[in-house]
Amino acid sequence: MTKRMKAALALAALAVMAALVSTAVAASTATPGVTAKTITIGGTFPLTGPAALYGVIPKAENAYFQYVNAHGGVNGRKIVFKYYDDGYNPANTVPLTKKLVEQDHVFAVYGSLGTAPILASRDYLNKAKVPQVLVATGDSYWATQYKKYPWTMGFQPDYPGESRVYGQFIQSKVPQAKIGVLMQDDAYGENYYNGLVAGLGDAKSKIVDVEKYDATQTDVSSQIVKLKAAGANVVALFSLPTQTITALAVITKIGWHPTVFINNVSGSPLFMSLAQKAGANVDGDITATYVADTINNPSSSTAKLYKSILSKYDAGADPNDSNNLYGVASAWTMVKALTQAGKNLTRQGLMDALTHMDYVNPFLYPGLKMKTTPTERFPIDQQILEQYKNGAWHPFGHVFGNAR
Amino acid sequence: MLVRPATSWIVPAALVGVVVFLVVGSLDSAVFAQQTVSGLANGGIYASLAVALVLIYRATEVINFAQGALATFTTYVAWQLISWGLSYWEAFVATLLIAFVGGFVVELIAIRPVERRGNQLTVVIAAIGLLILVEGATGWIWGNGIKFVPSAFPARFYHLGGATISLQDLGTIGVSLASVVALWAFFQFTKVGLAMRAAAVRPEAARLVGVRVSWMLSLGWGLAAVLGAVAGLMAAPNPSYLLQPTMMDGVLIYAFAAAVLGGLESAFGAVVGALLIGALLNLLQSYVHWVTPQLLLPVAFVIMLVVLLVKPSGLFGRTRVRKV
Amino acid sequence: MRPSRGTVVGIAVTALVAVAVALLPFGLSNYHRSTGATVAVYFVAILALNIVTGYTGQISIGHGAFMAIGGYATAILTHDHGWNDIATLPIAAIAGFVAGVIVGLPALRFHGVYLALTTFAVALAVPQLAKNYSDFTGGTEGLALPVHSGLWLYEVGWAVAGVMLVLAWLLLRGRTGRAFRAVRDSEVAAASSGVTLAVYKTVAFGISAAMAAVAGSIYVLVNNFVNPDVFGLTLSLYILIGAVVGGLGSLWGILVGAAFVQLLPNALTTGHVVSSQAVPVVFGAVVIGVMALLPRGAANLLGLALHFGSQDGQHSDTPLGTEGR
Repeated sequence: MTKRMKAALALAALAVMAALVSTAVAASTATPGVTAKTITIGGTFPLTGPAALYGVIPKAENAYFQYVNAHGGVNGRKIVFKYYDDGYNPANTVPLTKKLVEQDHVFAVYGSLGTAPILASRDYLNKAKVPQVLVATGDSYWATQYKKYPWTMGFQPDYPGESRVYGQFIQSKVPQAKIGVLMQDDAYGENYYNGLVAGLGDAKSKIVDVEKYDATQTDVSSQIVKLKAAGANVVALFSLPTQTITALAVITKIGWHPTVFINNVSGSPLFMSLAQKAGANVDGDITATYVADTINNPSSSTAKLYKSILSKYDAGADPNDSNNLYGVASAWTMVKALTQAGKNLTRQGLMDALTHMDYVNPFLYPGLKMKTTPTERFPIDQQILEQYKNGAWHPFGHVFGNAR
Repeated sequence: MLVRPATSWIVPAALVGVVVFLVVGSLDSAVFAQQTVSGLANGGIYASLAVALVLIYRATEVINFAQGALATFTTYVAWQLISWGLSYWEAFVATLLIAFVGGFVVELIAIRPVERRGNQLTVVIAAIGLLILVEGATGWIWGNGIKFVPSAFPARFYHLGGATISLQDLGTIGVSLASVVALWAFFQFTKVGLAMRAAAVRPEAARLVGVRVSWMLSLGWGLAAVLGAVAGLMAAPNPSYLLQPTMMDGVLIYAFAAAVLGGLESAFGAVVGALLIGALLNLLQSYVHWVTPQLLLPVAFVIMLVVLLVKPSGLFGRTRVRKV
Repeated sequence: MRPSRGTVVGIAVTALVAVAVALLPFGLSNYHRSTGATVAVYFVAILALNIVTGYTGQISIGHGAFMAIGGYATAILTHDHGWNDIATLPIAAIAGFVAGVIVGLPALRFHGVYLALTTFAVALAVPQLAKNYSDFTGGTEGLALPVHSGLWLYEVGWAVAGVMLVLAWLLLRGRTGRAFRAVRDSEVAAASSGVTLAVYKTVAFGISAAMAAVAGSIYVLVNNFVNPDVFGLTLSLYILIGAVVGGLGSLWGILVGAAFVQLLPNALTTGHVVSSQAVPVVFGAVVIGVMALLPRGAANLLGLALHFGSQDGQHSDTPLGTEGR
C-alpha cells in the first residue's frame, strides 16, 4: 500500500468519523418530537379486539390535550397525540411502537395500554431511551423494576395494592366472611389474588374457594355455581368487564346474595348498568376507586369541566364510562409533567418531573395525592372504597393508603 | 365405506347412558344439577347456531365460517331498530326479514360467483373472507362497546331440585328444537323444501325437472341467516354472551363441534351434539381437576376428533360413499 | 433436459428480484427495515402453506399454530437456555415438522370441510396450550428476547426466506413435487400410478409445518417478544389470505401475498379509529373478490403478463384441487 493511499484512507476515515460525530451532536441538541410550536407524543391502544372496551381511553386523553392546546398549550407548545390500534396483540404493539419512535419521532410514548403490550415494547424503548410513561396497566413492575427499566412508568394504583384494600376491609369489618374468589387465570388475576391475601393477613383462611377462568371464556357460570356450593358469603371478582357482568348476572340468576367486591377496572358505572340490564342485582356491591366522583357531584367544577371537555372534543363519549374519566385524569398528569419539565424540554427532564410528583390531580378523588420519588414510583397509592346503591357508586369510609 | 348395521345400537345406547348419568348425578347433588343445567343452557345457544350451519351444509356442502359473524350483525340490526323506537317484537320480525334478504343477497354477491368458478374449498375461503369483512363492518358501524338487547322471555326462574333455570334458558333450548321441527317440516312437506333438497343432492336431475338450482342455494343462505339471527337474539340478552362484535366467535367454535358431532347433515343431531357439549364441558370443568379453563377448547376439539375418527359420519349422520 | 425459454426468463427475473431485495434495506429507514423483515416472515409462512395447500391440495387454516411451535422453540431456547437465536432455527424446524406430521395424520382420513375444521381447531387450540403450560411459555406475560436493529432483522429475515425458497423449489421441481401435485389433482389417479398417498400427504404437512415454524421463529425475533396472543386465529387467517391473494400453487404470488397482508394494514392504520376498523373490511372484500374473479390469485395476472403461466403444465384450473364435491 502506498503512502498516498494510506493518507487517503486515513482522511476518508476521519471524514466518516467527523460526519458521525456531527450527526451525534445534532441529535443531542434537538430533542426528538419537540419543535418550537409542538410536542409530539404517541401510544398504542386496543381500539379493536378483545380489550376494545378500553378503546375510549385515548380519545378522552386526546380530548384533554385539545382542551389544553386551545388554552395556550404547554409552555407555548401544542401537544400532538398519535395513537395506534394494536388490537391488544403484542405482535402489533412492537412494530407500532417502532413506528412512533422511528417514523413519527415522538418525544415520548404515553399511556399505552395492557400488560403484555407494555412488556413486549419496554425493552426496545428502554434501549432507545425513549420515555414510556403513564402506561395504562396496574401491574407493579412499572414501579418496582425501575433499575432495569428506568424509562418505563405507570399511572394507576397497582392491582395488588387495590385488592389489599379489599383484604384489609374484609379482615376488619366482615368477621364472619367466607370468601370465594373468581379470578382470571393469568398474571392479572394472580396480582389481585396476591394482594387480597396480603391484605387479609392472618384472616387468609377465610378464603374458602378460588375459581379461575380463561380470558377467552365469556361464560363463567360454572365457576360461580362452585363458589356458591363452597359456602362463600363474600365474592371477590378479579375479572375483566365482560366476565364481571356475566358473573354478577349469574349470581342473581342462581338466587345467591353474597357481598360482592368488584375490581376497579370492571366497576365502571357503564358496566354496572349493563349488568343490571342483564338481570343482576348489584345493589350493595363494593369496589375501590381513585378518580373523582362526577356522578354524585354533578355540579362540582371537576364534573363540569370533565363533561364540557368530553362534549366539546370527544363527541359521543359517555361521561358515565369511568374509562373516559381515567383518560382525562391521566392526560392531566402528562400535561402537568410536561409543564414541569420546562421550556427546555428533554426526555430526561420528563422522567425527572414524573419521579418528583407532589400534587393534587383535580380529576382524582378529593384528598388523594400524587407523589413519587426516583425510588418510589407508584404515582397513586391511595384509594377509597365505594358501594353501589340506587344506580350509582357512593364512596364510604376513609382513604386507604398503601404502606409499602 | 359401508354402513355397519351391527353397531347401529351403539349411538342410542351411549346417549341413553349419558342421559341416565346426568339425571342420576343431578338427583344426587344439587351442584351437579346446577352445572348440568347451566351447561345445557349454553348448549341451547350453540344449538341455535349449529342448526344454521347444518342447513347451509345440506344445501351447499359448505361450512359457513361467516355464520356467527352474520348472526352478530343481524343482532346489531335488531338493537338499532329497537333504539330507533320499534317495540321488541316489531324489531324481532323486521330483523328476521332483513336477515333473510341479507343472507340471500350475500349468497348472490359473495358466494355464487366464487362457486361458479371454484370448488368447495374456494367457497370455504370466500366464507372466511366474509367472516373477516362482516365482523370488521360490525365494529366499524356500531363500535366495540357492549350493547344491550332485551330478552324475548320474561325474567322468570324455575327451581328444579337444587338447580335454578331461567325461562330464557328454557326458551333458548325450546327455540332451537322448534327450528329443527320447522326445518324438518319445511324440507319434508313444502314444494320449495323438496326442491332445495333435490338441488343439493342431485343438482343435474333437479335442473331437468325444472328446479332453479342456484336460487335454491340463495334461499338456503337466506334461511340460514334467519336461523342465525334467532341465535343472535337468543345469545345477546344472555349474560354469558352480551352483544359485542365478537359475541358469536366462541359460540361458532362450539357450534362447529356440535354440528360435526351430529354428523353435519342432521339438524336434530346438531342440537343433541350442542346440548351434550354444553353440559359435558361444564361438568368436566367442575369435576376434572386437570381440565383447566385454558384446556376447555382443546378438550372440546379432542372430543370432536375422536368421534370423527371412530364414527366419521357423526352421531346421527348417514354414512355416505365419498365421491371422487 | 434443455432449459426452455420460460425457465431462462424465470431464473433471470428471480435473480433480479433477489438482488433488489438484497439492496433494498440500504434505501430504507430503520422502521421500514423491520417492516420488511415482517414481510419476510409472511413470505416464508405463505410459502409453507403453499406446499401443503397450493401444491398438495390439503387446506390448512391452522398455520399460525405451526408458527407458534417455532416461535416458542426459539423463545424458550434463547430466553431460558441462553442459545444464540439463529442457532434455534433448525430446532424450530424439527419441532414444526413433528407437529405437522401429527396434524397430517388425521388429514389422511379427513377431506375438504372436515380438514378445514380440524386445522381451524388446531389454530385455536395451540395458543390455549401455550397459555396453560405457562411455566414453559411465560403464559400471557410472555417471554421477552433481545432487541435487534432493523437492518439485522431485515437481513436475517430475507436470508432465511431465500434459503426456504430455494429448498421449496428443489423439493417441488423433483419427484416429490410431482407426487404432491398428483395428490392434489386426483387422489385416485395418484394412488393408482404408485404414489403412496399416506406418505406424501403426511410429508407435505410435515415439511410445510417445519417452514411455518421457521417463519414463527423469525416473527418472534422481529417482535422480540412472544405470548399466546401473538399466534391468534387472525395470524392463521392472514397467512391463508396472503396465499390466496398471491395465488395458491404459485411461487411468484407469494411475494405479492406477503406484501399485501403486511403492508395493507400498515398503510391503512395511520392513527385514526376508522382506518384501523377498515382493515378487516378491505381484507374480507379483497379475499372474496379474488376468489370470485381470479381464483388463481394475483400471480395469475403476473404470470399471464410474463408468459410464465404454463411452464410445466402444472396449473389446473382449480388450485385447491378437485377434491370434495
